[in-house]
Amino acid sequence: MRCKDVQTMLIENGGGERPAALREHMAICASCQAYANDLESLQAGFRALAALSVPEPSWGFAARLVRRLNDLEQGGRAADFLEQVGRRVVYAAGLLTLLLLLALVLPASGPLRGPTTSELYWAQADTGTLTNYTILPDEALEGRGLNSPAPNPGSSEGKQ
Amino acid sequence: MEPYRAEQDPQELAWIRSAQQGDGEAFGHLVERYQKRVFSQVFRLVRRREDVEDLAQEVLVKAFRAIRSYDFRSSFGTWLSRVAVNHCYDYLRRERAQPAIVSVSPADREASQPTALVDKLHAPDQDPERQAVLRDLVGKLLERAPVDDRVILALKEMEGLSVDEIGEILELRPGTVKVRLFRARKRMLEDWRSLRQGK
Repeated sequence: MRCKDVQTMLIENGGGERPAALREHMAICASCQAYANDLESLQAGFRALAALSVPEPSWGFAARLVRRLNDLEQGGRAADFLEQVGRRVVYAAGLLTLLLLLALVLPASGPLRGPTTSELYWAQADTGTLTNYTILPDEALEGRGLNSPAPNPGSSEGKQ
Repeated sequence: MEPYRAEQDPQELAWIRSAQQGDGEAFGHLVERYQKRVFSQVFRLVRRREDVEDLAQEVLVKAFRAIRSYDFRSSFGTWLSRVAVNHCYDYLRRERAQPAIVSVSPADREASQPTALVDKLHAPDQDPERQAVLRDLVGKLLERAPVDDRVILALKEMEGLSVDEIGEILELRPGTVKVRLFRARKRMLEDWRSLRQGK
């Protein structure tokens, strides 16, 4: 057996009984014997650690824990309730905001409607047409016999 | 229909089901039954006597909060061990990331170094002082080992669990447990040999 194989087997074996082939090799190999001794010391250290006494739960540990769990459970229920209420308030506020935005953005409709976009466009077009007329002083208009209100091109009078 | 574990007694099943409905009193009965096991596992993994009770309490609170996820596939004890090991694992990793600043005199620091302990190993094998030195030395080596190695070695060498039991707790196949155990032992032994050879 090669030393490397022996050492692998020693680790795999842990603290268990060693096969005859392993024992035979170690009887003639000082290096593997030293390796096995170190492994044994390590195992002994683990055993000594395992033998340490484990701390006991203090008196009333379980009862204190149950009280804490009950508090947590009640706190959890209250938190769930508050979370539910809070969530509904947030949803309601969001819905109201959306409705408000819709009311502002969308044109109003119904019997009391205001000016629509198309009506505003025509009103602007009318203003633009009026600016094309030359504004003359009253005397000049009188001289030309034009001292009458400028006709509105949009109206039926102007077309006549 | 959830799988039923024959080894769980009906009383324990009733407690588990009540605890799953939020019954703290029923969980208290489970705590009384398993608290020693939880204390032992926490102590073996963390090795800080003064922190064991606090950590065990955190483990049990966590278990109560998560008990609805317990699906009866493993025994309740195994499931609880899994919660305990995961909690200690996180604790050890946090501790590793933020080492505590403790004021220690240079003489004490020197005496507590693994190299200083190795020098005391010349006593006969069965000598109690030698046993104490071996224990302290292996404890120091465990503290500086990777957390994965520390967990698996604690479960195997100190808790004395079988490969199958460790596999159930860590949710690993037995073959994987064996490989990890082999590597952890090998690393510990190399660390031990380096110390002894004064590297």
